[in-house]
Amino acid sequence: MSACLSDDALARLHADLASISERAHLATCAACSGRSRQLRRDLELITAVLRDTREPLTRVAPARRRWLPAAVGLSAAAVALLVWVEVAVWRAVTPVPPTMQPQEVAAILSDVSASLFSVSGDPVPGAADDGPLSLESMAREVDSSLTGGEP
Amino acid sequence: MIAHYGRLRRLCRLLLGDPQEAEDVVQEVFLKAHEAEQLGRAPMDWAAWLTRVAVNACRDRRRAGGWMRFRLRSSHIDDLPLVADTPGPGDVAVSEDARRRIWAAFRGLPRRQQEVFALRYIEERATTDVAVALGLSPGSVKRHLYRAVRHLRRALADAR
Repeated sequence: MSACLSDDALARLHADLASISERAHLATCAACSGRSRQLRRDLELITAVLRDTREPLTRVAPARRRWLPAAVGLSAAAVALLVWVEVAVWRAVTPVPPTMQPQEVAAILSDVSASLFSVSGDPVPGAADDGPLSLESMAREVDSSLTGGEP
Repeated sequence: MIAHYGRLRRLCRLLLGDPQEAEDVVQEVFLKAHEAEQLGRAPMDWAAWLTRVAVNACRDRRRAGGWMRFRLRSSHIDDLPLVADTPGPGDVAVSEDARRRIWAAFRGLPRRQQEVFALRYIEERATTDVAVALGLSPGSVKRHLYRAVRHLRRALADAR
Protein backbone atom coordinates (compact mmCIF):
# COMPACT_ATOMS: atom_id res chain seq x y z
CA MET A 1 0.00 0.00 0.00
CA SER A 2 1.37 3.42 -0.95
CA ALA A 3 2.00 6.23 1.52
CA CYS A 4 -0.87 8.48 2.53
CA LEU A 5 -1.56 11.58 0.45
CA SER A 6 -0.26 14.97 1.44
CA ASP A 7 -2.54 17.99 1.84
CA ASP A 8 -1.29 19.28 -1.51
CA ALA A 9 -2.14 15.98 -3.14
CA LEU A 10 -5.65 16.15 -1.68
CA ALA A 11 -6.04 19.68 -3.02
CA ARG A 12 -4.91 18.42 -6.41
CA LEU A 13 -7.53 15.69 -6.20
CA HIS A 14 -10.26 18.26 -5.61
CA ALA A 15 -9.00 20.30 -8.54
CA ASP A 16 -9.05 17.18 -10.71
CA LEU A 17 -5.29 17.28 -11.17
CA ALA A 18 -4.36 14.11 -9.26
CA SER A 19 -2.58 11.18 -10.85
CA ILE A 20 -4.14 7.75 -11.30
CA SER A 21 -2.10 6.30 -8.45
CA GLU A 22 -3.26 9.06 -6.08
CA ARG A 23 -6.87 8.39 -7.01
CA ALA A 24 -6.35 4.71 -6.51
CA HIS A 25 -4.88 5.34 -3.07
CA LEU A 26 -7.80 7.53 -2.07
CA ALA A 27 -10.23 4.82 -3.04
CA THR A 28 -8.57 2.32 -0.73
CA CYS A 29 -7.34 4.42 2.21
CA ALA A 30 -9.87 5.24 4.90
CA ALA A 31 -7.64 7.89 6.50
CA CYS A 32 -7.15 9.77 3.26
CA SER A 33 -10.85 9.48 2.47
CA GLY A 34 -11.61 11.09 5.81
CA ARG A 35 -9.14 13.89 5.14
CA SER A 36 -10.63 14.38 1.72
CA ARG A 37 -14.10 14.72 3.27
CA GLN A 38 -12.66 17.26 5.71
CA LEU A 39 -11.22 19.23 2.79
CA ARG A 40 -14.64 19.21 1.13
CA ARG A 41 -16.25 20.48 4.34
CA ASP A 42 -13.60 23.23 4.57
CA LEU A 43 -14.33 24.27 1.02
CA GLU A 44 -18.05 24.36 1.77
CA LEU A 45 -17.36 26.55 4.77
CA ILE A 46 -15.11 28.90 2.75
CA THR A 47 -17.71 29.08 0.01
CA ALA A 48 -20.47 29.82 2.51
CA VAL A 49 -18.42 32.60 4.09
CA LEU A 50 -17.67 34.23 0.75
CA ARG A 51 -21.23 33.81 -0.51
CA ASP A 52 -23.29 34.61 2.58
CA THR A 53 -21.30 36.94 4.81
CA ARG A 54 -20.44 40.56 4.45
CA GLU A 55 -16.83 41.36 3.74
CA PRO A 56 -15.16 42.87 6.83
CA LEU A 57 -14.30 46.53 6.50
CA THR A 58 -10.68 45.95 7.36
CA ARG A 59 -9.39 44.52 4.12
CA VAL A 60 -6.00 43.43 2.98
CA ALA A 61 -4.41 46.35 1.19
CA PRO A 62 -4.10 45.79 -2.54
CA ALA A 63 -0.60 45.30 -3.87
CA ARG A 64 -0.41 48.81 -5.26
CA ARG A 65 -1.30 50.37 -1.91
CA ARG A 66 1.24 48.23 -0.06
CA TRP A 67 3.99 49.98 -2.02
CA LEU A 68 2.80 53.45 -1.07
CA PRO A 69 4.53 53.76 2.35
CA ALA A 70 7.77 52.41 0.90
CA ALA A 71 7.61 54.86 -2.00
CA VAL A 72 6.93 57.78 0.33
CA GLY A 73 9.77 56.72 2.62
CA LEU A 74 12.23 56.37 -0.24
CA SER A 75 11.25 59.77 -1.63
CA ALA A 76 11.74 61.41 1.76
CA ALA A 77 15.13 59.73 2.14
CA ALA A 78 16.17 60.93 -1.33
CA VAL A 79 15.15 64.50 -0.51
CA ALA A 80 17.03 64.37 2.81
CA LEU A 81 20.12 63.06 1.03
CA LEU A 82 19.99 65.87 -1.52
CA VAL A 83 19.65 68.47 1.22
CA TRP A 84 22.57 66.97 3.13
CA VAL A 85 24.74 66.94 0.00
CA GLU A 86 23.87 70.58 -0.65
CA VAL A 87 24.50 71.72 2.92
CA ALA A 88 27.37 69.57 4.09
CA VAL A 89 29.29 68.48 1.01
CA TRP A 90 28.70 70.94 -1.79
CA ARG A 91 29.25 74.03 0.32
CA ALA A 92 32.36 72.52 1.92
CA VAL A 93 34.12 71.92 -1.40
CA THR A 94 32.96 75.10 -3.14
CA PRO A 95 35.54 77.96 -2.66
CA VAL A 96 34.10 81.07 -1.10
CA PRO A 97 34.72 84.15 -3.32
CA PRO A 98 37.18 86.55 -1.67
CA THR A 99 35.63 89.62 -0.16
CA MET A 100 37.20 92.98 -1.00
CA GLN A 101 38.12 95.70 1.38
CA PRO A 102 36.37 99.10 1.03
CA GLN A 103 39.66 100.76 -0.08
CA GLU A 104 40.04 98.26 -2.91
CA VAL A 105 36.48 98.84 -4.02
CA ALA A 106 37.05 102.59 -4.02
CA ALA A 107 40.26 102.24 -6.05
CA ILE A 108 38.54 100.11 -8.67
CA LEU A 109 35.65 102.50 -8.93
CA SER A 110 37.97 105.45 -9.33
CA ASP A 111 39.80 103.63 -12.13
CA VAL A 112 36.55 102.97 -13.88
CA SER A 113 35.46 106.55 -13.39
CA ALA A 114 38.72 107.92 -14.71
CA SER A 115 38.50 105.76 -17.81
CA LEU A 116 34.95 106.80 -18.48
CA PHE A 117 35.50 110.53 -18.17
CA SER A 118 38.93 110.75 -19.77
CA VAL A 119 38.90 112.74 -23.06
CA SER A 120 42.10 111.31 -24.51
CA GLY A 121 41.36 107.80 -23.42
CA ASP A 122 44.17 107.89 -20.89
CA PRO A 123 43.34 107.89 -17.25
CA VAL A 124 43.25 111.26 -15.60
CA PRO A 125 46.69 111.70 -14.12
CA GLY A 126 46.76 111.29 -10.40
CA ALA A 127 43.09 110.43 -10.27
CA ALA A 128 43.70 106.84 -9.39
CA ASP A 129 46.15 107.83 -6.74
CA ASP A 130 44.16 110.68 -5.29
CA GLY A 131 41.11 108.67 -4.66
CA PRO A 132 37.70 109.00 -6.25
CA LEU A 133 36.99 112.09 -8.34
CA SER A 134 34.63 114.63 -6.91
CA LEU A 135 31.71 115.99 -8.91
CA GLU A 136 33.32 119.41 -9.02
CA SER A 137 36.58 118.15 -10.51
CA MET A 138 34.71 116.09 -13.04
CA ALA A 139 32.62 119.12 -14.00
CA ARG A 140 35.77 121.24 -14.40
CA GLU A 141 37.30 118.65 -16.68
CA VAL A 142 34.23 118.46 -18.85
CA ASP A 143 34.01 122.28 -18.99
CA SER A 144 37.64 122.68 -19.96
CA SER A 145 37.41 120.05 -22.65
CA LEU A 146 34.38 121.80 -24.18
CA THR A 147 35.77 125.33 -24.08
CA GLY A 148 39.37 124.42 -24.99
CA GLY A 149 40.73 125.53 -21.65
CA GLU A 150 39.43 129.13 -21.87
CA PRO A 151 37.46 130.43 -18.91
CA MET B 1 -32.90 37.15 -17.51
CA ILE B 2 -33.95 38.95 -14.36
CA ALA B 3 -33.38 35.69 -12.51
CA HIS B 4 -29.66 36.21 -13.02
CA TYR B 5 -29.66 39.63 -11.39
CA GLY B 6 -28.90 38.49 -7.83
CA ARG B 7 -26.34 35.98 -8.97
CA LEU B 8 -24.45 38.52 -11.06
CA ARG B 9 -24.56 41.14 -8.34
CA ARG B 10 -23.08 38.66 -5.87
CA LEU B 11 -20.39 37.65 -8.34
CA CYS B 12 -19.43 41.24 -9.16
CA ARG B 13 -19.43 42.19 -5.51
CA LEU B 14 -17.09 39.31 -4.81
CA LEU B 15 -14.73 40.23 -7.62
CA LEU B 16 -14.75 43.99 -7.02
CA GLY B 17 -15.23 44.19 -3.28
CA ASP B 18 -17.46 47.22 -3.61
CA PRO B 19 -21.29 47.00 -3.61
CA GLN B 20 -21.80 50.24 -5.50
CA GLU B 21 -19.31 49.30 -8.20
CA ALA B 22 -20.89 45.85 -8.44
CA GLU B 23 -24.31 47.42 -8.93
CA ASP B 24 -22.94 49.66 -11.70
CA VAL B 25 -21.33 46.71 -13.47
CA VAL B 26 -24.52 44.64 -13.31
CA GLN B 27 -26.50 47.53 -14.82
CA GLU B 28 -23.87 47.75 -17.57
CA VAL B 29 -24.12 44.01 -18.22
CA PHE B 30 -27.91 44.10 -18.54
CA LEU B 31 -27.66 47.06 -20.86
CA LYS B 32 -25.35 45.04 -23.10
CA ALA B 33 -27.72 42.10 -22.91
CA HIS B 34 -30.60 44.34 -23.97
CA GLU B 35 -28.56 45.68 -26.88
CA ALA B 36 -27.59 42.16 -27.95
CA GLU B 37 -31.23 41.12 -27.89
CA GLN B 38 -32.30 44.18 -29.89
CA LEU B 39 -29.64 43.48 -32.51
CA GLY B 40 -30.74 39.87 -32.83
CA ARG B 41 -27.53 38.54 -31.33
CA ALA B 42 -29.11 36.80 -28.36
CA PRO B 43 -26.87 33.96 -27.14
CA MET B 44 -28.03 30.38 -26.79
CA ASP B 45 -26.96 30.25 -23.15
CA TRP B 46 -27.82 33.50 -21.39
CA ALA B 47 -26.29 32.38 -18.07
CA ALA B 48 -22.88 31.73 -19.60
CA TRP B 49 -23.04 34.88 -21.70
CA LEU B 50 -23.98 37.10 -18.76
CA THR B 51 -21.29 35.55 -16.59
CA ARG B 52 -18.62 36.09 -19.21
CA VAL B 53 -19.64 39.70 -19.84
CA ALA B 54 -19.83 40.41 -16.10
CA VAL B 55 -16.37 38.96 -15.43
CA ASN B 56 -14.91 40.98 -18.31
CA ALA B 57 -16.63 44.14 -17.09
CA CYS B 58 -15.24 43.60 -13.58
CA ARG B 59 -11.81 43.07 -15.06
CA ASP B 60 -12.08 46.31 -17.04
CA ARG B 61 -13.14 48.20 -13.93
CA ARG B 62 -10.26 46.89 -11.91
CA ARG B 63 -7.81 47.60 -14.71
CA ALA B 64 -9.11 51.13 -15.11
CA GLY B 65 -8.50 51.75 -11.44
CA GLY B 66 -11.86 53.35 -10.90
CA TRP B 67 -12.75 50.80 -8.29
CA MET B 68 -9.79 51.97 -6.23
CA ARG B 69 -11.23 55.46 -6.02
CA PHE B 70 -14.51 54.05 -4.84
CA ARG B 71 -12.87 51.80 -2.31
CA LEU B 72 -10.83 54.65 -0.89
CA ARG B 73 -13.88 56.87 -0.71
CA SER B 74 -15.48 57.49 2.63
CA SER B 75 -18.03 54.97 3.78
CA HIS B 76 -21.12 54.31 1.74
CA ILE B 77 -24.27 53.67 3.65
CA ASP B 78 -24.03 50.09 2.33
CA ASP B 79 -20.62 49.69 3.92
CA LEU B 80 -21.77 50.58 7.37
CA PRO B 81 -22.15 47.52 9.56
CA LEU B 82 -25.90 47.75 9.95
CA VAL B 83 -26.17 44.30 11.44
CA ALA B 84 -27.26 43.05 14.81
CA ASP B 85 -24.60 42.58 17.45
CA THR B 86 -25.80 39.11 18.16
CA PRO B 87 -24.66 36.46 15.68
CA GLY B 88 -27.19 35.20 13.19
CA PRO B 89 -27.74 31.55 12.24
CA GLY B 90 -25.21 31.76 9.43
CA ASP B 91 -22.56 33.31 11.64
CA VAL B 92 -22.68 30.72 14.37
CA ALA B 93 -20.82 28.08 12.39
CA VAL B 94 -17.74 30.18 11.76
CA SER B 95 -15.91 32.47 14.13
CA GLU B 96 -15.30 36.15 13.43
CA ASP B 97 -11.57 35.52 13.18
CA ALA B 98 -12.03 32.71 10.66
CA ARG B 99 -14.37 34.87 8.62
CA ARG B 100 -11.85 37.71 8.51
CA ARG B 101 -9.03 35.37 7.59
CA ILE B 102 -11.01 33.75 4.80
CA TRP B 103 -11.95 37.11 3.31
CA ALA B 104 -8.39 38.39 3.64
CA ALA B 105 -7.04 35.22 2.03
CA PHE B 106 -9.51 35.55 -0.83
CA ARG B 107 -8.54 39.18 -1.40
CA GLY B 108 -4.89 38.12 -1.30
CA LEU B 109 -5.40 35.74 -4.22
CA PRO B 110 -4.33 36.83 -7.70
CA ARG B 111 -7.22 38.15 -9.77
CA ARG B 112 -7.41 35.09 -12.00
CA GLN B 113 -7.58 32.71 -9.05
CA GLN B 114 -10.35 34.81 -7.51
CA GLU B 115 -12.34 34.58 -10.73
CA VAL B 116 -11.82 30.83 -11.06
CA PHE B 117 -12.74 30.12 -7.45
CA ALA B 118 -15.81 32.36 -7.60
CA LEU B 119 -17.13 30.75 -10.76
CA ARG B 120 -16.30 27.17 -9.77
CA TYR B 121 -17.42 27.19 -6.15
CA ILE B 122 -19.68 30.19 -5.59
CA GLU B 123 -21.40 29.96 -8.99
CA GLU B 124 -21.05 26.16 -8.99
CA ARG B 125 -20.18 26.05 -12.66
CA ALA B 126 -18.39 23.15 -14.30
CA THR B 127 -14.68 23.41 -15.05
CA THR B 128 -15.32 23.56 -18.78
CA ASP B 129 -17.87 26.37 -18.33
CA VAL B 130 -15.37 28.31 -16.22
CA ALA B 131 -12.75 27.81 -18.89
CA VAL B 132 -15.08 29.13 -21.60
CA ALA B 133 -16.19 32.09 -19.48
CA LEU B 134 -12.63 33.15 -18.69
CA GLY B 135 -11.07 32.23 -22.01
CA LEU B 136 -8.74 29.67 -20.44
CA SER B 137 -7.99 26.03 -21.05
CA PRO B 138 -9.59 23.53 -18.64
CA GLY B 139 -6.12 22.53 -17.44
CA SER B 140 -5.31 26.12 -16.58
CA VAL B 141 -8.58 26.45 -14.69
CA LYS B 142 -7.71 23.37 -12.64
CA ARG B 143 -4.28 24.72 -11.79
CA HIS B 144 -5.69 28.08 -10.71
CA LEU B 145 -8.30 26.27 -8.67
CA TYR B 146 -5.71 24.05 -6.98
CA ARG B 147 -3.61 27.07 -5.95
CA ALA B 148 -6.65 28.99 -4.72
CA VAL B 149 -7.94 26.03 -2.69
CA ARG B 150 -4.53 25.45 -1.13
CA HIS B 151 -4.19 29.13 -0.17
CA LEU B 152 -7.68 29.46 1.26
CA ARG B 153 -7.45 26.22 3.21
CA ARG B 154 -4.20 27.32 4.82
CA ALA B 155 -5.92 30.53 5.92
CA LEU B 156 -8.74 28.49 7.46
CA ALA B 157 -6.23 26.19 9.19
CA ASP B 158 -4.47 29.23 10.67
CA ALA B 159 -7.77 30.40 12.12
CA ARG B 160 -8.29 27.11 13.97
